[in-house]
Amino acid sequence: MSSESSKKRKPKVIRSDGAPSEGKRNRSETEQEGKYYSEEAEVDLRDPGRDYELYKYTCQELQRLMAEIQDLKSRGGKDAAVEIEERRIRSCVHFMTLKKLNRLAHIRLKKGRDQTHEAKQKVDAYHLQLQNLLYEVMHLQKEITKCLEFKSKHEEIDLVSLEEFYKEAPPDISKAEVTMGDPHQQTLARLDWELEQRKRLAEKYRESLSNKEKILKEIEVKKEYLSSLQPRLNSIMQASLPVQEYLFMPFDQAHKQYETARHLPPPLYVLFVQATAYGQACAHMKSSQPPRQDKTLSVAIEGSVDEAKALFKPPEDSQDDESDSDAEEEQTTKRRRPTLGVQLDDKRKEMLKRHPLSVMLDLKCKDDSVLHLTFYYLMNLNIMTVKAKVTTATELITPISAGDLLSPDSVLSCLYPGDHGKKTPNPANQYQFDKVGILTLRDYVLDLGHPYLWVQKLGGLHFPKEQPQHTVIADHSLSASHMETTMKLLKTRVQSRLALHKQFASLEHGIVPVTSDCQYLFPAKVVSRLVKWVTIAHEDYMELHFTKDIVETGLAGDTNLYYMALVERGTAKLQAAVVLNPGYSSIPPIFQLCLNWKGEKTNNNDDNIRAMESEVNVCYKELCGPRPSHQLLTNQLQRLCVLLDVYLETESHDDSVEGPKEFPQEKMCLRLFRGPSRMKPFKYNHPQGFFSHR
Amino acid sequence: MERAVLHAVPLGQMEVFQALQRLHMTIFSQSVSPCGKFLAAGNNYGQIAIFSLSAALSSEAKEESKKPMVTFQAHDGPVYSMVSTDRHLLSAGDGEVKAWLWAEILKKGCKELWRRQPPYRTSLEVPEINALLLVPKENSLILAGGDCQLHSMDLETGTFMRALRGHTDYIHCLALRERSPEVLSGGEDGAVRLWDLRTAKEVQTIEVYKHEECSRPHNGRWIGCLATDSDWMVCGGGPALTLWHLRSSTPTTVFPMRAPQKHVTFYQDLILSAGQGRCVNQWQLSGELKAQVPGSSPGLLSLSLNQQPAAPECKVLTAAGNSCRVDVFTNLGYRAFSLSF
Repeated sequence: MSSESSKKRKPKVIRSDGAPSEGKRNRSETEQEGKYYSEEAEVDLRDPGRDYELYKYTCQELQRLMAEIQDLKSRGGKDAAVEIEERRIRSCVHFMTLKKLNRLAHIRLKKGRDQTHEAKQKVDAYHLQLQNLLYEVMHLQKEITKCLEFKSKHEEIDLVSLEEFYKEAPPDISKAEVTMGDPHQQTLARLDWELEQRKRLAEKYRESLSNKEKILKEIEVKKEYLSSLQPRLNSIMQASLPVQEYLFMPFDQAHKQYETARHLPPPLYVLFVQATAYGQACAHMKSSQPPRQDKTLSVAIEGSVDEAKALFKPPEDSQDDESDSDAEEEQTTKRRRPTLGVQLDDKRKEMLKRHPLSVMLDLKCKDDSVLHLTFYYLMNLNIMTVKAKVTTATELITPISAGDLLSPDSVLSCLYPGDHGKKTPNPANQYQFDKVGILTLRDYVLDLGHPYLWVQKLGGLHFPKEQPQHTVIADHSLSASHMETTMKLLKTRVQSRLALHKQFASLEHGIVPVTSDCQYLFPAKVVSRLVKWVTIAHEDYMELHFTKDIVETGLAGDTNLYYMALVERGTAKLQAAVVLNPGYSSIPPIFQLCLNWKGEKTNNNDDNIRAMESEVNVCYKELCGPRPSHQLLTNQLQRLCVLLDVYLETESHDDSVEGPKEFPQEKMCLRLFRGPSRMKPFKYNHPQGFFSHR
Repeated sequence: MERAVLHAVPLGQMEVFQALQRLHMTIFSQSVSPCGKFLAAGNNYGQIAIFSLSAALSSEAKEESKKPMVTFQAHDGPVYSMVSTDRHLLSAGDGEVKAWLWAEILKKGCKELWRRQPPYRTSLEVPEINALLLVPKENSLILAGGDCQLHSMDLETGTFMRALRGHTDYIHCLALRERSPEVLSGGEDGAVRLWDLRTAKEVQTIEVYKHEECSRPHNGRWIGCLATDSDWMVCGGGPALTLWHLRSSTPTTVFPMRAPQKHVTFYQDLILSAGQGRCVNQWQLSGELKAQVPGSSPGLLSLSLNQQPAAPECKVLTAAGNSCRVDVFTNLGYRAFSLSF
């Protein structure tokens, strides 16, 4: 077949080859125009594989011919030229073939490209279609999820549980046979039931409202009735007053007091409440009757209520004023010197101001003597003070030496150990004092009353030590816990003071008033006599030469009372300096002795004087007598007389001195001296009446 | 003023009572422990306090180390006399002598080991025991006091072997003559009697108040203190403090001291005495007053020289009397400090 085609094309090639080179383009163009379509069609008919074979063959042929030409040329024979010519023609034919093949290849290439392009367009169209479809799918999916996520309102409603629903709902709503299997229907049914129930409840609510309205109206009516009753009751109360008074039933009075008590400052209020409560409790304990007029503790409020009320309205003013003027003061101190004193004075007064209300406490003792206590509250210092007064049932003849015993200044001193009531118990006060130039509260105590610690405690004020800025509030429990002991102490204090008062009255007349129940402590015959009993000043006591020991021990504080007793027998004079602690009789009076007889004898140079002191001071418990041992001082003095007797009578007689002994031995003694310090027999043995050594 | 600083001002009932008790305390007796480091002191309330001398004398002594390390109630009445054997502390006061183990006291277990009462004749008032004296040679204890007799007790068996009678009033003090087994006793009757322990007889009597050199009638006859050194004896009390030559029974030196003396002792070539008044007096044998060292008590009743060889650092003189304080003299020149009940 190839040979056939090559044969066919052969003439064409030869023809074109034979044309001169100048007109070659023109001609070939027209020829080609004419032949183009034929070649196009030809391409489809020809097999590209065979063309490739042809191409290869032609190339080989060309190579061979070129090689032969070369060969011939190199040989260079005459006949060679013909040979070469012949050969050249043959090669030209081959070139023609090559050209043809080249064209065909080009056409084929073009065709291939077109085909590829076509196919590609088709593919693109398909791709686009695919994209559209994918998008549609996605959109649909979104729609589906949206639907799935939809929340219905009914889910928020709290429904009754399933079992309850089937139990309670009527069958026309629950429709068990339909709903059991179908959750949707079930839910619908449950919602129906819920709606039904809610409707019912709303109905009930409306009913209740109307009911309430009705009741309110009723109350209104009743109130009106009650308010119309008030004036009538008042008039009845008014009418009953005389009856109350007549029957000793001070209900109304108490009520008024409570009314007033509301205006008391907190500490005084605490005191008032606790004291009232304690007083009532005491009265109840003693008799089962309701509180009577003669109860042991009565509480009252004194002072102007209006002033107290006025005080409450502008509570901040005074303080602000103070601080303002303080700042001001510092600026003006230099300029206005002459008025400074007045200013300070005013400020002091302001600081020490008392609350207009005070609480009166009357404590009645068994012997009908009354201790009147008035409690004040110093508003700016936040402390309480007390003033005391003792009244007795019978008028007392006041002995000179007993002046201080019942004086308001000292009667309550040291009720608790160390509580002198001369210093402010509130540590914060010191700073306030510094500001206005008050050195100590002591100078104002007479006027203001004593700020004893127990007073603060009764008022529920507790001041911690060393913490000046601590805020202090009135505390009921503190007051309550101190009320009973303090009241008891107050009573014993008054009683012991009254007892002392009585004893002093006779002591001043040289009589030692030994009561009959203490008589057994002393022998029947006591020769030494008390000749003097006077009060002495604290300073004088400190000056005495034989009281040094007591002063050094710290037992001679300035709160004590000091006395000087003189016991005499013949030429012997025994001086006794007595320290009377305010806590008498739980704390004994302390004696220091000085005997003037054959020279001056004190505990420093005579062991027996020392022993006598210890007999009265240390062994005082034997001398207390019956409780509550108010007779202690008297007994101690009587004991002192006995001791002096023993001392003088047992003094060894000096052989070198002529004449009889001044003091013949009248006391029965087992032995005169005993022990290394040659003690005298000071101990009295009661029923037998002899003296022995301790 | 020292005490006012030391103690807070007493306020309450108990505090005041305790302050008064301390104020009226009298320390009658002292005794140094066998180890020499501790001092026992007995007071008029029947208490015995044990002080640690070594702690109080150490350089880091505090205020507490001058307080008793232990105080216990030993007797009902005053503790008039105490002596220490090498194991026991013997204390006596109201008629009884009690023994305490030093080892147990120091461990603060204060339980009495035994108690003995000499056979007394009277029964109305129990006589006190004013003096105890150890006789190491025959391991016995001599007690003397209110019943005017010397009772000799065997420490081994605790039995009372014999009673020496002769005094007409109660006995204040005892002293032992080291070489010959002889005991001196001085009493309220004004006599110093010398007893021979072997024969239990009185061998010599010196009635001091009868000698004009030393008699002081206004003070009484009583002999309050005694000390002896070989042939020499010193005694005082109502009569003046006097040095006697025993063999010739003559007073050789009368010491010029007006106040009655309550305790006297020989120390090296000195005589130390104490009594009414604040001072510890030091005398030359010739009668010259060498020194007067003031203590803190208004009157002294006992002196104690700690010469235990076991504790040379605690070699001190202690003096106690009419106060709750025991003065400690580290040398004889001045009072170093006071131990206090």
